[in-house]
Amino acid sequence: MSIKICHGQTILSLRNVTKVFQGRKVIDDVSFDVKCGETFVIMGCSGSGKSTLLRHMTGAIRPDQGSILIKGKDIAQISQEELDDVRKSFGMSFQYSALLDSLTIQENVALPLREHTRLADEIIDIIIKMKLSLVGLRGFENYYPSEISGGMRKRAGLARAIALDPDIVFYDEPTSGLDPVVGGITDKLIKDLSVKLMITSVVVTHDLNSAFKIADRIAMVHQGKLVAIGTPEEIKHSISPYVQQFIHGSPTGPIDLFKEQKLSIEQ
Amino acid sequence: MIPTIRYLGRFVIEYSIWSKGVALLFYKTMYWSIVGPFKGKAAHRQSIFQQMVFVGINSIVIVFFVDLFTGIVLGMQSAYLLKKMGAELYISSLVSISLCRELSPVLTALVVAGRAGSAIAAELGTMKVTEQIEALETMAINPIRFLAVPRFLALVVMLPALTIVGDLAGIFGGFLVGTRSLNINPDLYMQITFKYLELKDIYTGLLKAVIFGVIIALVACYEGLMTKGGAEGVGRATTRSVVISFILIIAADCLVTALFYFINW
Repeated sequence: MSIKICHGQTILSLRNVTKVFQGRKVIDDVSFDVKCGETFVIMGCSGSGKSTLLRHMTGAIRPDQGSILIKGKDIAQISQEELDDVRKSFGMSFQYSALLDSLTIQENVALPLREHTRLADEIIDIIIKMKLSLVGLRGFENYYPSEISGGMRKRAGLARAIALDPDIVFYDEPTSGLDPVVGGITDKLIKDLSVKLMITSVVVTHDLNSAFKIADRIAMVHQGKLVAIGTPEEIKHSISPYVQQFIHGSPTGPIDLFKEQKLSIEQ
Repeated sequence: MIPTIRYLGRFVIEYSIWSKGVALLFYKTMYWSIVGPFKGKAAHRQSIFQQMVFVGINSIVIVFFVDLFTGIVLGMQSAYLLKKMGAELYISSLVSISLCRELSPVLTALVVAGRAGSAIAAELGTMKVTEQIEALETMAINPIRFLAVPRFLALVVMLPALTIVGDLAGIFGGFLVGTRSLNINPDLYMQITFKYLELKDIYTGLLKAVIFGVIIALVACYEGLMTKGGAEGVGRATTRSVVISFILIIAADCLVTALFYFINW
């Protein structure tokens, strides 16, 4: 496993990112930096644009304005080939795992290794065993994704995301749909990866418990705008009414679904 | 009047976008099939063979029976007419030529479009709506090279192969009618068959099969990769892939047959 040296430099940086879908600004002038080795959590309600933001960072969507720098390369501007090079340095754990149905767990985890490295099969086998034991899935190598539970699929997806020893791992709702115990294990896993392997984690979630447990810093997104950013302590004591409403889960406040509904009907 | 024009306009716009998308997919598939291997990015041999088995080997039985029955029907149908002229002997060449040039490639393509084309569209569509395609892209694996190229190559190779099976099955069907019902001597029947059947009749049929293979692969992969909107979207993609393949196969057949006819091939 490669050893990464981090001195708190910025590894991922968004500058004034804006995206318009069908006349609606889904990402509105968002800027922030993520430092090497930290766990950065993006929080927000459903439909606030946090997943869209994540997909901008993985290069799945290109922004209309602004730049997204990953290790100094602006992935909003570069060609497909260069983007693919950058993509080899990060992994992504999808909300519904997105494992290939036609391959076994072992083949799924081996896929990036077989595609992007010239390692011998024996070495790939060893790496797979290592990654699967890291997520607690040893013994399930020859199962198909449809034969294991949702939580296990998610962990297998995580094993695939870290197969190439990435610098950054993106997580889309890592704990949603999991029972509290497996959710806790997943949180610990994310934390372990970033502490032990110096992997930078960017986590999108609306699970408050998990966010406060794992985050070094938290950003809160509402209607495509960044409304607050800071350490978990700072967020807890934030005076922003959006953050307070979100943390306490109160139905009334500045985040008003009914008002938004009315506005969009009027538009 | 205006709604009709509006409908027509939308139809034209939709299908010009569709054609552009399919043309782009064709270009990319050809790029990854031909240039890819030289860049060390060839499609996986294993998945090509898997697709060949699925598209080709597993279709042999159904193609055999479809063409066998077509051969029998064609034999009886032409016997009805040729008997009146006292030329029953020539059903052998009529059956073999119409099968090799026309019926076997088209029927085989329709069977494969219904069986394998729909399955490809459904599989890729499901992969699209469950984020598996996006996962491949995020892993820097080109979905066209990884998914479309093996299916494309399998169809382009296996459809002509199946067409040959169909040719043989159809000729056998005609043979059954000729020898059992019209009491033509089996030896004589085969002699007449090969007297008029030229090599170019088989070539033209196989060329058509290659074209149909390209059509089925492109339509199924395009519809699959463009799927939107959950389970309903997958259903729609599957239906569209079969319907569009059928129409394009028949239209392409018409064009190619006309071309061969006018250049006297």
